[in-house]
Amino acid sequence: MEQGSVFNIQRFSVHDGPGIRTTVFFKGCSLRCIWCHNPESISRQGVLEFNPDACIGCLACVSVCPTGAHRSDESHGHVLDRSKCVACFKCVDTCYAGALRSVGETVDEDYVMRQILSDKDYYDASSGGVTFSGGECMTQPDFLLALLKKCKEAGIHTAVDTAGNVPQSAFEAVLPYTDLFLYDVKAADSRLHRELTGAGNELILSNLRFLSDAGARIIVRIPFVPSRNGSEIPHIAEILRDFSIEKIELLPYHRLGLSKYESMGLDNLCRDEPIPSDEETEQAVSILRSFGLNAHKS
Amino acid sequence: MSLDTSKVVLSPLYRSRIDKLHADKLEINNIKMKVFDHLDFDDWGFVYFPDYRFEPIIEDPSGKVFGYRAICKNFRKYLEEIPQYVNPASALGGAWIGQLTDTCPIHIPDEDNVPADVRECWHKYHTYPGFTGMNHTAGDINIGLELGWGGILQKLRKYRALNDPQDPAFYDGEEDLVLGIQAWVRRIARHAREMAERESDPDTAKNLSEIADMNEWLVDNPPRTFREACQFLAHFQSVDRMYYVGGALDQLDEKLRPYYERDTQAGILTDEQAVWCIASLFFNDTHYSQIAGLTPDGSRDMTSRMSFIVLDAMHAIKIPVNIAIRVSDKLNETLLRRSLEYTIEDGTGVDYSCNIGIEQGYTRNGYPEGLARQRIKVGCNWCCICGHEYPLQDVTRANMGFALYWALQDIRKESERSTERLFELFCKHVGIIVDSIKIGYDRHYEIMGRDRPEVVYNLFMHGPIERGLNCSEGGVDILNFNIDGIALATCADSFAAIEQRIEQEGRITWDQLFEVLDRNYEGFEDIRLMMKNIKRFGSPDSPAEKWALRIRDCFVDACRHEGTPKHHLTIIPGLFSHGAIGEYGSRLPATPNGRRNFEPISHSNEPDPGFAQGLNTFSPSLKANAVAIAQPGFGNSAPLHLDIDVDMVRKEGGIEALMALIHTHNHRGGTLINLNCLTKEILLEAHADPSTHPDLLVRVTGYSAFFASLSKDYRQQIVDRFLSKTQS
Repeated sequence: MEQGSVFNIQRFSVHDGPGIRTTVFFKGCSLRCIWCHNPESISRQGVLEFNPDACIGCLACVSVCPTGAHRSDESHGHVLDRSKCVACFKCVDTCYAGALRSVGETVDEDYVMRQILSDKDYYDASSGGVTFSGGECMTQPDFLLALLKKCKEAGIHTAVDTAGNVPQSAFEAVLPYTDLFLYDVKAADSRLHRELTGAGNELILSNLRFLSDAGARIIVRIPFVPSRNGSEIPHIAEILRDFSIEKIELLPYHRLGLSKYESMGLDNLCRDEPIPSDEETEQAVSILRSFGLNAHKS
Repeated sequence: MSLDTSKVVLSPLYRSRIDKLHADKLEINNIKMKVFDHLDFDDWGFVYFPDYRFEPIIEDPSGKVFGYRAICKNFRKYLEEIPQYVNPASALGGAWIGQLTDTCPIHIPDEDNVPADVRECWHKYHTYPGFTGMNHTAGDINIGLELGWGGILQKLRKYRALNDPQDPAFYDGEEDLVLGIQAWVRRIARHAREMAERESDPDTAKNLSEIADMNEWLVDNPPRTFREACQFLAHFQSVDRMYYVGGALDQLDEKLRPYYERDTQAGILTDEQAVWCIASLFFNDTHYSQIAGLTPDGSRDMTSRMSFIVLDAMHAIKIPVNIAIRVSDKLNETLLRRSLEYTIEDGTGVDYSCNIGIEQGYTRNGYPEGLARQRIKVGCNWCCICGHEYPLQDVTRANMGFALYWALQDIRKESERSTERLFELFCKHVGIIVDSIKIGYDRHYEIMGRDRPEVVYNLFMHGPIERGLNCSEGGVDILNFNIDGIALATCADSFAAIEQRIEQEGRITWDQLFEVLDRNYEGFEDIRLMMKNIKRFGSPDSPAEKWALRIRDCFVDACRHEGTPKHHLTIIPGLFSHGAIGEYGSRLPATPNGRRNFEPISHSNEPDPGFAQGLNTFSPSLKANAVAIAQPGFGNSAPLHLDIDVDMVRKEGGIEALMALIHTHNHRGGTLINLNCLTKEILLEAHADPSTHPDLLVRVTGYSAFFASLSKDYRQQIVDRFLSKTQS
């Protein structure tokens, strides 16, 4: 039985494909997007999250930590030195207050399928299904494939939410079991793409070409961060009009992920990034539509 | 002919009248809040007259008022002297100004009470026994619409003569009540006439004259037109509220449909006038009624043009209204969609009564499907076959939190301790609570007719007048008595916490548990959180769900395995806590689920807020699944409360998702859905300062209210529900 690492199973998800869906968030990502709102998803390994507001100062974590990463400080209370943390998560087990949390669990396909099947009535009533997301779900291809196959056996509609930065062979494997691809395109210029995500976009566009030529149903999603990729919108449109794409969704930047960076002790390069105005977003949608694309604000 | 589902467009005249009613409702509410501070129940439509004082007629040396004659003599006096209210913007006249029962000492005689040991038992377990409970039944409003007040009086006289009872107290009392109602209606007419004469605006003067004409006619005669039918319903619901705040109306769309069709075909009623009439009825009071639903044979859904007009009236006036849509697979999907559009726009709207759980459950009591389909929602959570059943729901609370408390006291004296043994003791105490309520119900059956009869509902039921018997003692053919269990999740999570932390992990001992409970977890916050942060009821694969189902089964069996001991009355179990979870927890010491002394208990059969943790985060379906699986199963509803972030459902596909959620909950055996669509910002602002959003509407449990009218504790409940995914 395949096992994989996931960090969230979100039921009644209504924005990751048609109908009511369960979205399974995989851990591990091959990109490092500077605006990422799921920073807990980037590493394949579990991540220690610390919420000081929930800490009751019992210091049980101090006594079990093998490396002294947790300590009590007279002026700051409970202090976590992440440089000493070896991610053993012994502290999590002692933290009844839930201030320390391991984000991500290794689970097997039966466990995930049990969660998925528990909401099957909702999918059936709404023409919904399951969306595998992340992170990058395609970085765990065997686990993903096993789940996709089981979903198809159960008659459940499947969607794969991907940034596409994986070998084409991974797409070849999942294509027969995937009803819909939610496919991220972040910049047209490869140099800028590397600047924003840590990788060029050649492989991503090549995989999109593969899916398009194979007749896959594709919805392209464009994270819209005006100061970072706003000027790219016409160029992205120029590229996309050559593909067979059902719909384009523009995803305006939001700040819901900021607190996650703090709880994980990470820097956020987009901390001060403004949220796009409705006018900016509508204008970007209009540009996409002017290229004949079926674009919408998500 | 295809059904007209279009939205009614209001002309400036009717738009302004309905807007005025909305504004007046806020003003009336504001006055009430200054006097009463808060109202945690329905936003009852009474108009407060601070200077009026009722002097009751007290003839019994005990100082109590009881029995048909004494009660109805007072009721008639009350009706003959209360101040009149007619709103010039309304289509209808009259209002209720408060409860007779607040100012008249209607109490049962001491000798009719239950024995002291039963009362002690109720006190020990903080039981709300339902004994002497009132008004939780419903009339068949057609009886009144067909007869009018004059016809009801004639019917009383006819059966008095036919039965010629040795003790005519029933007929004496009921006649006095109807004569009082007629006097009150006559006074409404006179008041409206006087207002019309003083009114300078011709449209308003005409309206007031029409109200006067209608009421003059309705003193003795049945309604002829749609507007007169609405006026009669306003009379009924006002009188009903005056007596123990009765709140049950009926199937509103179907009962008014014949009048609507007749008047529109005759060209004397337009759709906007119909909307105005219904909005005026809602202004008059928040009685519970339903629209749509299956016909008794199940062959079709009853959605009609009237159903849409009722929805449009609710949306137009935007005040608390208690309308339920009866959901079935055959429900008109446009009606369902329209209701959700209005809920998203207004914050709340109708609630959804699920046919499968209610009907199939009710048939398990031995009733046929055709009868079960006529059992409709006429209270905040409860159902009744209008005019035929005395169901007495929503008046009992079997506090299972106290069964757990006393079971813990028992087991600490024993040497062999286990969750299995604790559960045995728990079931014993649940049995004691339920049995004590059953004893009370036997007494209720014996004495309520002679002491505190349902003098208003008796007039609208099939049987009481014909037999001269109160509906609670066989006046109607179907008698059912409900017992509601409460604190399901509190108990289930407690059992699961003990099982996990003591028996499986050995993190604390039983003795340590007793110590921290005795100390209300003070100095043991780590242990409190350890006990709290288990996989709670509602979490996937949670052991607490197993306990919830065992507790549900134990409670249902205690109710069902036999009827009441003396008269063998049928008991139907429910799991409903109303909104009063703070009150029900107010005497309950700390529990093993990390709940501190006297904190609120869990709600109905729902998981506690914050139940979803770890991989599986909160979702409406996760909560709905838990509520559906733990239904009591005999046709009494255990509601699902959903407070959904409006941003989630405003986007494309949001309404379809809610429609699917409603149908799926119905198919999973759910019974009732109460839905709010809110934003976090507005809710928190209104909680911090209710005056910032005086017209924010919310559905508290099965009833809607102005958020600003609720006490801080009730507001907090709604905030907690909404923010539950962020709680720990």
